[in-house]
Amino acid sequence: MTTGVVTALPRVDDQDLTDRIIGDHVGRPGALLGILEELQDANRHKYLPMETLEYVAVRTGIPQAQVYSVATFFTLFNLDPQGVHTVAICRGTACHTRGSRALLQRVKLQLGVGEAVDAAGKTTMTTADRRFTIRTVACFGQCALAPVVEVDHAIRGHVKEQVLIREVETLRKGGAR
Amino acid sequence: MTEKVKVRIDGEVIAATAGQTILEVARTNNKYIPALCYMEGLSTVGACRLCMVEVSGVSRLLPACTTPVQEGLAVATTSPQLESYRKIALELLFAERNHVCAVCVSSGHCELQTLAQEHGVTSVRYPYSYPRLPVDMTHPRFVLDHNRCVLCSRCVRTCAEVEGAHVWELAGRGIGSRLVSELQRPWGEATSCTSCGKCVQACPTGAMAEKGWGVEEMTKRRAAVSRLTSMREGE
Repeated sequence: MTTGVVTALPRVDDQDLTDRIIGDHVGRPGALLGILEELQDANRHKYLPMETLEYVAVRTGIPQAQVYSVATFFTLFNLDPQGVHTVAICRGTACHTRGSRALLQRVKLQLGVGEAVDAAGKTTMTTADRRFTIRTVACFGQCALAPVVEVDHAIRGHVKEQVLIREVETLRKGGAR
Repeated sequence: MTEKVKVRIDGEVIAATAGQTILEVARTNNKYIPALCYMEGLSTVGACRLCMVEVSGVSRLLPACTTPVQEGLAVATTSPQLESYRKIALELLFAERNHVCAVCVSSGHCELQTLAQEHGVTSVRYPYSYPRLPVDMTHPRFVLDHNRCVLCSRCVRTCAEVEGAHVWELAGRGIGSRLVSELQRPWGEATSCTSCGKCVQACPTGAMAEKGWGVEEMTKRRAAVSRLTSMREGE
């Protein structure tokens, strides 16, 4: 409910699709979460650009600050473009004691990315060619399988360094997309 | 709706209206419960955890600002345990950001400082986290210094509920939480801000202040006086 000021609609890539997604949810309680989730999924780089957040705010009448607050609170939402492949390494206690730090360091070395914190203060690292994103997760809830790594939404347990390196290498060679 | 109930606060029987919170009842009856995120006229969030009280029959502590009173409720507003918890909460607030009273615009008028003095917080037993935080000077009249923010969200609620502009919100989570205006735009560029300054008035610390009150800003222009006399010489 912005007062007085009429904000011009920011330009978004696919306005029809964005409008349809907003239209599907608007008016329901908690609509914002569903809208943001679908918009991120529809995005080619699986993230929510600032223009999209602003567009959602203007279209739904939800204050911009509130949209931003929700988008930064949930680690599900990305504010930066994501890589084609995602490697999520668990940094929970069980996985830590079973060597997940070494796994993370090793994959970072392999893909040549440094430490990076996005606008929301979340640790995600994406390679310059946007083929890989490495992220850390607090816990998958699969501590018996520690250390746990999720590669492209498939969870792997008891991950060994060599196995992970080979898997990432296979994805890397999987043709230029 | 206006059902009358009787509650006991520190042993004293007090008449209250059902639906009132423990903190409201205590304050209207001159019973002191410390609080930082509570402000009269705003909704309550229970963020600062300073108003925790002991309620008989309840094994855990309850925040006075969000707990409604019931018939027969008996509250203890202070105890050695509560005092120690409040001290911990205050010390953690100090350790979390860069609170340096000596150079703060609000020194002497700061609720955090006052509470610390009241509770005898003379030192902080936890390591300071010294976060690198920015100071937003983009607004023509006001300053936002994240170093002094305690994330009480009083400015957020004031702006949303009283002014109706909803410029502010808390973004991120945990130790990474920050106060943001709109989509993390600089305050001066926030189009929904009406520059009413209510958030500045609501801020309990020096995180939001009017420009010109900072220690560095209060410089005197003595040279101007000397120049006047030198110009008058020979008249």
